Amino acid sequence: MRLSRRTLLAAGLTAPLAACSTPQRRGAGGPVEITFWSALRGSQQVVDAFNSSQNRIRVVFQQIPSGGQGGYAKLSNAARAGNAPDIATIEYPQVPGYAIDGVARDITDLVTDRLKQKLLPQALKLTTFDDRVFSVPLDVEPMVLHYRADLFEANGFELPATWDEFAELARTVKSRFPDRKLAIFPTDGGTQFACYAWQAGAQWFDTSGGRWRVSLADEPTRKVATYWQGLIDEDLVFSNASDSKQHDAQIGQDRVITRLSGAWDAGAQMRARPAQKGRWRIAPMPVWDEQVVGTHGGSTFAITKDSAEPEAAMEFIEWQCTHPDALTARLKSGTSSQYPVAPGLVEAGAKAFPGEYYGGQDIYRLFRQEADKIRDGWVWGPRMTATLKVMQDGFAKAGAGAGTLIEAVREAQSGTMPDLLALGLSIEEGSR
Amino acid sequence: MKGKLACAVLMAPFFLLLITVFLIPTGTAVWLSFFAADQPGLGFGPESTVFVGLRSYGAVLSDPTFLGSLLTVVLYCLLYIPLMVAGALTLALLLDSGVAKLRSWAQMSLYLPHAVPGIIAALIWLYLYTPGLSPIIDLFAKADIQISFLGIDTVLPSIVNIALWSNLGYNMVIFYAALQAVPREVLEASVVDGAGPVKQALRIKAPLVRGAIVTVGIFTLIWALQLFTEPVLLSQSTPMISARFSPSMYIFDAAFTRNNYGLAAAASVILLAFTVALSYGVTRWTNRKAA
Repeated sequence: MRLSRRTLLAAGLTAPLAACSTPQRRGAGGPVEITFWSALRGSQQVVDAFNSSQNRIRVVFQQIPSGGQGGYAKLSNAARAGNAPDIATIEYPQVPGYAIDGVARDITDLVTDRLKQKLLPQALKLTTFDDRVFSVPLDVEPMVLHYRADLFEANGFELPATWDEFAELARTVKSRFPDRKLAIFPTDGGTQFACYAWQAGAQWFDTSGGRWRVSLADEPTRKVATYWQGLIDEDLVFSNASDSKQHDAQIGQDRVITRLSGAWDAGAQMRARPAQKGRWRIAPMPVWDEQVVGTHGGSTFAITKDSAEPEAAMEFIEWQCTHPDALTARLKSGTSSQYPVAPGLVEAGAKAFPGEYYGGQDIYRLFRQEADKIRDGWVWGPRMTATLKVMQDGFAKAGAGAGTLIEAVREAQSGTMPDLLALGLSIEEGSR
Repeated sequence: MKGKLACAVLMAPFFLLLITVFLIPTGTAVWLSFFAADQPGLGFGPESTVFVGLRSYGAVLSDPTFLGSLLTVVLYCLLYIPLMVAGALTLALLLDSGVAKLRSWAQMSLYLPHAVPGIIAALIWLYLYTPGLSPIIDLFAKADIQISFLGIDTVLPSIVNIALWSNLGYNMVIFYAALQAVPREVLEASVVDGAGPVKQALRIKAPLVRGAIVTVGIFTLIWALQLFTEPVLLSQSTPMISARFSPSMYIFDAAFTRNNYGLAAAASVILLAFTVALSYGVTRWTNRKAA
């Protein structure tokens, strides 16, 4: 017998329907099972807390490597093979890419008004494109200035409130201590640089015209690049990779006395250098003129196209992002200092965060104050990992004395446009 | 009839492999380079696979990072191929001249690195190149010489060094075998005419193994244009090797980091065309000189 095309089509159509009629992966009368991938610390504790809080949904958690360490490749490959987890953790810069690739599904209809009201609107904006929501933000991370309070006090250094004061202090540090520097320009820190540009008012990507307008080297970015180039040229900052043994040594040996990174990094610092307990404090990031900041880091949860249980997945996401027990479970693991997107949780965060490392400073109050200063309107691009990688390749060269930061930014732009062109997006190149 | 059948049976494995590992992948790449899953506008709508003509090719050729990777690999070839051919030929001539004692031992030890898989070779050298791990760098440091094998200017020569270490012995064996076929009476005649060992090597032996030199040159060229393993491994230790360092790395990055299959496919086809054109050019050029 020869199978007609119609028979084959019918078979193909009924198979998924049959699968739909009885919810997948649901045991006889048992809970709905959903899978969840994350590289975030403390996720296992959050999942355990959720699983024991109810018995309708059972979350199966898998700890995966962080995005750059292979986590994103794993997610893309799984999506291609059709077995992505129900919920994936995606950082803000990568959200548009996964949305365009169809990995993160459009969850506009699943995000209820109740949920929306609980979240900081400027964070939700970062995961909303074309009026459609593609992921739910968990934390929003204003950049802050981590500083060595002991060294500041012993030397009478004042906290720099502006970037001019920051540069001035860098000169003082250099003149007083030949082997110490105020800070590092991380040559692998595309996201830090993006944050500096964001704060200064840059608009690397703009979708308002219905097309991707790309202008990485706009005027605010040029200002920021010139500023840091000056610090590098004057030898006032280290310029090496931050994810390196070299930088670990710089911090461990007290040779770098401030760190500019997101609020989350307070927890990472605690975990990485327990011996420096009590010596660090946190202050607002220096500003130009306006009291605004950018963000550095932060994660969101997307429901993938392969999820058979999007409603259950959304229920877990909502719990994770807005329930105090979720944040408490994560912070109690002692390795996280995330600043929740839901302002209602800040109280719980401040209570759950073990404060001794920062000498009892109420860092959550500071984070809250800084989160309100996040500049509105930033948009991440469709291929952010690659864009930032090209930029960092240029930064590494600039750090070694070949080329400049602004050249690296321009290279990132010219290395991004062909990508977007080949993806078939409507594009427009802005100033460069 | 029987002969034809035997011929077909014996050739079948070759054609089977040719089709499955070369023609089908190449055809797929060409197809992928002309079609793409497009979404109009910002790209958040539903996808549809459409014919995009030369768009992906235009994107690749307008990408300075791709052109930069081509330039890198051309520089690599200019550095590597002459060193390889000259080095392997010199060693083969030395062995053939009988100057070298312990010939078989020398042959064996020169050939041995070729038996080491490329990835292991790169790992060994990665260890020797990485500051803080490398005993060589420590040794130089003791003599007050700061040396960086993975700096902005030294990284390409360092890769050339790995490739030479791996392949010199293999190509030397090819040259040595070709030298065995040089007629002894020709060599004797040259001695009678007063040629010393150096003159004999350069004027008699080398020209007589020209065929082998061209073959080695072309194979080395094709291999070199696909530069991938060594820089990928070394890139763990140095930021001077970008994710798009060589064309093969560009293709890998486009497909697996950027999820941009059209771009990766177009770049692959361009690299294939570039390789074919260069090999053809070299062949034509050497044949013309022979004529």
